[in-house]
Parts: sequence; C-alpha cells; structure tokens
Amino acid sequence: MPGARSWELKTGLGKEYLKVLTQLDVSLKDLDLEVKKVESQVLSDYKPGPDGEEESRYFVRLKGTLTPREARMTGWRIDNLAALAACLSLIVSKQGKSERKELEEVIGQKVGRWRALTLTDAFLRSGYLEEDEEGLVKLGWRTRAELDLQSLMMLIAESKPKGVIDQEFAEATEVSPPEEAPRDVAGADLEEDQASTDA
Amino acid sequence: MSEALRVIRRHAENWKTLQDNLLDMRAITSLARVVGLQSANLRFQSSSLFVDPGMVKQKIGSMSREQLAELLLLSWHPVVELEQLTDASTKEALDYWQHMLSFFERRKRLATGPFETPGPMDSPELARMRVLEEKAFTKRLDELRIEMKEKAGEEERIEYWSFVRTSNFPQTVLRAQMVSFLISYGMAVLERKREKMFLIPRDPPFASRQGSPLSYPIPITKEVVTSRAK
Repeated sequence: MPGARSWELKTGLGKEYLKVLTQLDVSLKDLDLEVKKVESQVLSDYKPGPDGEEESRYFVRLKGTLTPREARMTGWRIDNLAALAACLSLIVSKQGKSERKELEEVIGQKVGRWRALTLTDAFLRSGYLEEDEEGLVKLGWRTRAELDLQSLMMLIAESKPKGVIDQEFAEATEVSPPEEAPRDVAGADLEEDQASTDA
Repeated sequence: MSEALRVIRRHAENWKTLQDNLLDMRAITSLARVVGLQSANLRFQSSSLFVDPGMVKQKIGSMSREQLAELLLLSWHPVVELEQLTDASTKEALDYWQHMLSFFERRKRLATGPFETPGPMDSPELARMRVLEEKAFTKRLDELRIEMKEKAGEEERIEYWSFVRTSNFPQTVLRAQMVSFLISYGMAVLERKREKMFLIPRDPPFASRQGSPLSYPIPITKEVVTSRAK
C-alpha cells in the first residue's frame, strides 16, 4: 500500500512532521501534486499507531485531474473508468454498501457480464473497493485517497444522456447561427466514440 | 422541460405584440426557476452524498461508457506511487537465494524415493494416461456421423435411443454428448414425432448456421436407459 502512516512520519521526521508536510505540499504544487491526508476511521485496515495515537495515512496525489488523452497513459481502458464510476456512484447512493451481485449487474449492462466480473475483482484487488464478511461491497482505501466523491456524485446527478445532448445540440444549431452553437470540448478528446457531458 | 421549451420555440415567430413576448419571457423565467431549484436540490443531495439509488441507476443506464469515464476523470486524483529496489530488499533476496538448499537436497525431504532420469513418452502411452486424446475430436465426430448414416440405411433416419444407447452407461452418455455436437454443428438433425425422436444424418458440406437453434434437454439416467432398452 502506498503512502506513509502518521507514526512512521513522526518517527522519521519528528514531532513537527505536519509542518514538513505543509512545506512539502507547497513544493509539490509546482508539479501539480498535493499531500492528501486520509483519516483512519474511514479505512478499515488501519490500526492505531504504537503510541495509541489515532492513525492517519498521507498520500501524494495529483492535484488536478487527467484529460481523456492523458488518462490513456495510465493504461486504463474506457471500460474500466466507466465501470469504476458506475460502481462508486452506486455504492455511495446506497449509503456506502452494496451487494456484489447488484454491482455486477449494473456494470454488466455497460461492459458485458464477463468483463463485469473481472473488473469487480480488479477493483477489489487494487483497493478501490472492499468486501466484508457478509459479502457486501464498500468503498476501499484507494477510493478515499483518490476520488472526490462529492464532485463525482454531483456530475452524475447533473449529467444528461448522450441522446439528449445530441438532440439539444441539433435543435440549437437549427435556431442559432453556427458560431453560437454550444461545443462539447471535453468529449472531443476521446478518440473512438464521441463522448460528451454537460457537466 | 425540453418539451415546454420546444413549444415556446415553435410559436416564438408568431408573436407580434409586446404583451405576447412578455408572456413568453415570463414562461421562460419560470422554467429557469424550476431548473434552478432542481439543480440546487441535486447539488444539496450530492454534496451530502444522499442521492436516490434509483436515480443513480437510471443515470448510469442512460449514459454512454465514454460519458461515465469522463465524469470519473473529472473527479479522479490518482495517487503517486514509486516502486523500487532498495539495498535492504536486494540483500534479503540475495541471502534467500544463497541459503536455499540445492534441488536434490530439497527433494530428499519429500521422500519421493530414488530419482528417475527424465525420459521420452510416446503418444499411445500418453493416451493411456488420458493426457492426450487418441483421436482428434472432429475426427471422432465424423466417424460417429458415418456410423449414424450406415445405421440409418435407406430410411435415412434412426431412432435417437437406438443409436445412442449401448450396454455401457458411461459410453451411452459419451455418445449422447457427441450426438449433441453433431446436431449443433449441423452434421445431423434431430426430429421429434410425438414421443419419439429421430436422428437424420447430413452430408457435407456443413455450415454452423444449419445447426439447431433450439435446445432439447434429454435426461440420461440409468433408469431411462434401461426402460428404453425394454
């Protein structure tokens, strides 16, 4: 697991380790990176440190976001990203826990049944999801560290289906002169099929 | 909402007086207020992470994969990871390797008896051990089809059970399985007449589209095989 625990940092850097982290955060800004603290209470696999102090974990993560073009360099396919978005939003809407079967059904509608099974396993292995003893799937440590869930839920809540966007675009171009027509900038970056959002 | 706007747009050119246009503006302002309130409500729900699961499912279902991927990218800040070999881990690996006993030493602990020098093994021997099939699957299928054709004779058809059944039960199951492949591959046809089933062998060339699009579940228990024999 990446990142450093608070007691590890305390041992290595001393009691004032938080000041060092603040300075590191400032230095990382130039690289579009930031220090992210993840509280222990949301991470089931964390234990209290040796001195009994409640433990947090610190990660260095990308401050901004990736464009679709940049995301290709991570080696993730569009299927993987879409399935992860669907998984996370469904679990969040179900107050943090969902049945694995239900998740696989929802993803299966997007990427096919077999791929849904393998992707769910992959998300569990990489820490985006966790499975408890009752077989319920919840958000994993990596999701807490990497995802801005409020932003994701807001974008999903405000999104429109692809067909509606196309229809509205067609209507707008009929009425307005070409230079005033809305342009789907972000979607133009995805190569295969046009992807768009009104978010 | 889209429908309301479409109606307003459709009639917009017909308005002549100022009052007509003001009425339109009032309608558009009201619609904008509704959208604003809906948006505020959604924002409140989303920010507190209380969103209706039904609505989320519907949204996911209606969006394309590309849209979903794009939304994730707008909220994703991947963690930076660096994996590298350290002096300590390299030393640990080297120690492990150097302290590992030789293959022959480790083998002694398993008490597997004297060491036999590896030697070649021919195909018939592998077939006896059931590692290899004696005949290729397609060849076996074709042989079964020819056998079916011979047994069908001039009638060009044979009753299913009289062809599949043998004195040996496992052999009967194997023949039934092979026959199911013949039917799926269009090398034979299964015809049902009342309670009886008939097999009709076909001649090449075979096309997979000639295969039966339907599935016929045929139970093969020992009881069924013996009762059919009677």
